Amino acid sequence: MLNRNKKRFSGIVVLALLTMLASACSGNNNTNNASPSASGTATASASASGSQPAASGEAKDGGNLIVAVASDPVILNPNYAGDRVSLTIDQALYAPLFQVNNGKKTFYLADSLDLSADKLTYTLKLKSGLKWHDGQPLTADDVVFTIDKILDESQNSFLRGNFIIGGKPVQAVKVDDTTVQLKLPQVAPGFEATLVQVFPIPKHVFENEANIEKSDKNKNPIGSGAFKFKEYKTGEYLTLERFDDYFGGKPHLDSITYRVAKDTNAANLALQNGELNVKYLDPQDVATIQATGNFEILPYSEGRLAYMMYNHNSATGALAKKEVREAIGYALNREELIQVAYASADYADPAHSFLTPDVLYQTNDVPTYDNDVAKAKELLKTAGVSNLKLRFIVQSGNKVQEAVSLYVQQKLKDVGITVELSSMDASAFVAKFTDPKATDFDLVVSGYIMGFDPDAYSMLFTSDGSSNYSHYNNPQVDALFKQGAGEGDPAKREAIYKDAQKIVAEDAAIYPIAYTKTIVAVDKRYGGLDQAVLKPVVIFEDPSKLYLK
Amino acid sequence: MRQLFIKRLLQTIPLLLFVSIVCFAMIKLAPGDPVLSFVTPNMHAEDIERIRHNLGLDRPAYVQYFLWIKEAVTGNLGYSLVNHQPVLDQILDRLPATAGLMGSAIGLAVLLAIPLGLVAGANRGRWIDKLVNLVAYVGISVPLFWLAILLIYYFSIHLHWLPSMGMRTIGVRSAVDVLKHGIMPCIVLAFSFLAIYVRYIRSSTIGQLREDYVQIQYAYGSTKRIVLFRHVMKHVLLPIITLLGMSMGELVAGAIVTETVFSWPGIGSLGMTAVRGMDYPVIMGITLFSSILLILGNLAADLLYGIADPRIKSKR
Repeated sequence: MLNRNKKRFSGIVVLALLTMLASACSGNNNTNNASPSASGTATASASASGSQPAASGEAKDGGNLIVAVASDPVILNPNYAGDRVSLTIDQALYAPLFQVNNGKKTFYLADSLDLSADKLTYTLKLKSGLKWHDGQPLTADDVVFTIDKILDESQNSFLRGNFIIGGKPVQAVKVDDTTVQLKLPQVAPGFEATLVQVFPIPKHVFENEANIEKSDKNKNPIGSGAFKFKEYKTGEYLTLERFDDYFGGKPHLDSITYRVAKDTNAANLALQNGELNVKYLDPQDVATIQATGNFEILPYSEGRLAYMMYNHNSATGALAKKEVREAIGYALNREELIQVAYASADYADPAHSFLTPDVLYQTNDVPTYDNDVAKAKELLKTAGVSNLKLRFIVQSGNKVQEAVSLYVQQKLKDVGITVELSSMDASAFVAKFTDPKATDFDLVVSGYIMGFDPDAYSMLFTSDGSSNYSHYNNPQVDALFKQGAGEGDPAKREAIYKDAQKIVAEDAAIYPIAYTKTIVAVDKRYGGLDQAVLKPVVIFEDPSKLYLK
Repeated sequence: MRQLFIKRLLQTIPLLLFVSIVCFAMIKLAPGDPVLSFVTPNMHAEDIERIRHNLGLDRPAYVQYFLWIKEAVTGNLGYSLVNHQPVLDQILDRLPATAGLMGSAIGLAVLLAIPLGLVAGANRGRWIDKLVNLVAYVGISVPLFWLAILLIYYFSIHLHWLPSMGMRTIGVRSAVDVLKHGIMPCIVLAFSFLAIYVRYIRSSTIGQLREDYVQIQYAYGSTKRIVLFRHVMKHVLLPIITLLGMSMGELVAGAIVTETVFSWPGIGSLGMTAVRGMDYPVIMGITLFSSILLILGNLAADLLYGIADPRIKSKR
């Protein structure tokens, strides 16, 4: 749930921030318009590409692409991959059943997914003739095996929670070689969204492994994606090579190399030097890279909300009062704040709702308390609060958090609130932030990526939610989330979640700052970016569509 | 000699135990919880506890320590909490990169430090001494990552002479390629070692020049050069053995900053990742491994000292 802005935090921290805290996992979906047909033709058409002059040439075959990654992958097995690097590599190495962009499904291994009339059974049809990288057929058995292993408690897959609904497991049953039925214990419209995280693993490889996570087989992964494993030099690079039998058509590139570049500054120099072709950028580095004229700079929404959290439970007691939270909102100016934190409004859109724009039923048209110092003072007076002292915890070295905290300190001074900043190292920060009993801090900057179904957000805003670190408690909101989780009718669901957004905003439960964007620099010599679809966390949804111009 | 060796070897056992206890205690006292890296929001409390139990992290700290030390004695340093690979394998996997880099950096530093230190010491207060001192001060105070970035900027971006990162060009298997990648990190590290060594040799040269034998050599009409490089150098070289012995720990612990900036796949960057992820079997493994080498290095230095300088042996 924390900030993932500083890519300099290498592997594990990204892993920690990404997975352990309320982020990453309910689907890494996003908002991109292009939706490639995965079963499509082998040659990407040179279709007009939105704003980029990228896809002007015909797609050629051959070439290698070097992608900068901040650390070694932790584990190349999608049942366990939780860190950014492993997820990125797995996206090319394994194929998903399907992915979702802007509410639109793109099928990969799956051919169709249908829900029964009673909304309790999903029927998943696989494409026929699917193959693993070792030539074995990929069938319904593999899908059932994958889901069984996710559910198996002794296997420690952290996707397990996705398949437990109301305390009961989802059942995966093979119907025939290309058909699987998923039987839900109860109606759960949010379930489908979690299926985008399922990348089947090969049964014939892992069948006899007692502990799949620790298995040596993960060192030589057999996937079904567009690229197959070639070589891995720990701490240096990992290379994947073209898989000619890929169901989506033979990939254009010969290989993709993921190069470990630990230091952001040095990696930026390597990018300029042509030793890297694709790399995440921090907003402040954009100008330097752009100046070389060799890179497309692509900011894209990462489906993430950055917000300031109020600890409603803090010892001061003040933040339990709605008026005080409103007053803080009025004391701040969101546009200034975005400028301060993200250097430019190009890289972050102002946020009002707790749902990110890619989420179903999201609306930014909700009450917001913003930029009115007089009103703030008045509210504080009404609340009977004076000489308030708030403690703001900051993860040291995190530029966004540092900038926001200093800005907030300055602005709240104007309304008579003293803010004490306390900077701590990453692990102490996370421990404090996630400690449900912590009452010794009031404010913190955080962020989350929760996927495209609003149900996933219940853990953040319901009173007994597992990641409700702000301790927000509104029985109305609890009831709405409960209703929404079991509601099959989209129109009714929409009304429910719109209400929830309105109430949470009215309560000023959190101070939403911005829907942030990821910025990626891609070497101009590469094309097919639109068909490959830029995607949060993994960069490219379908790397088979990339080509060297 | 042999008795001395065995005695010293036995003395290292309590020392290593002490080091491991302190290291373990510090990791346990530090904030953070390795289990957190396995936790996702939609996990239930009992799932989290199950993972904690599967990793053996639910036991009291002293039990965890004893389990660890019991295995460590037999050479099993355990498994990473993050990627579940054997710790020893991971260390050995990265050892050549680190040892090669550190070895050449230390070697280069010593080769440069000896003449520079001798000349500076012999010309105390003159311009050459001041210059060497300046270099040493700069070497001690300049931040290594800054120096590294500067070199990359100049030699990779501007001149295109050297690759900026990593140890190999992708897919290339050649020693020349590795050497080319190693030049800049080696220079950066050598510079920092040089600064320390030079000051050491300089002050020891100054001390030696006051000795009677030097005066006698001069009285016999030896030139300054002969006195310095034939006679003084012998005495000055002795402490270098100690310095090298003490560098053994660093030789394997790696240089965290330099390895990180150059994405050099050594033990330093492994350690950095482990610290950030609270992956304490890896942290413990690296600490223990480098402690053993440091202690053995010192032991070897002492023994070599005895061989190189018979006066010391007779004193024991």
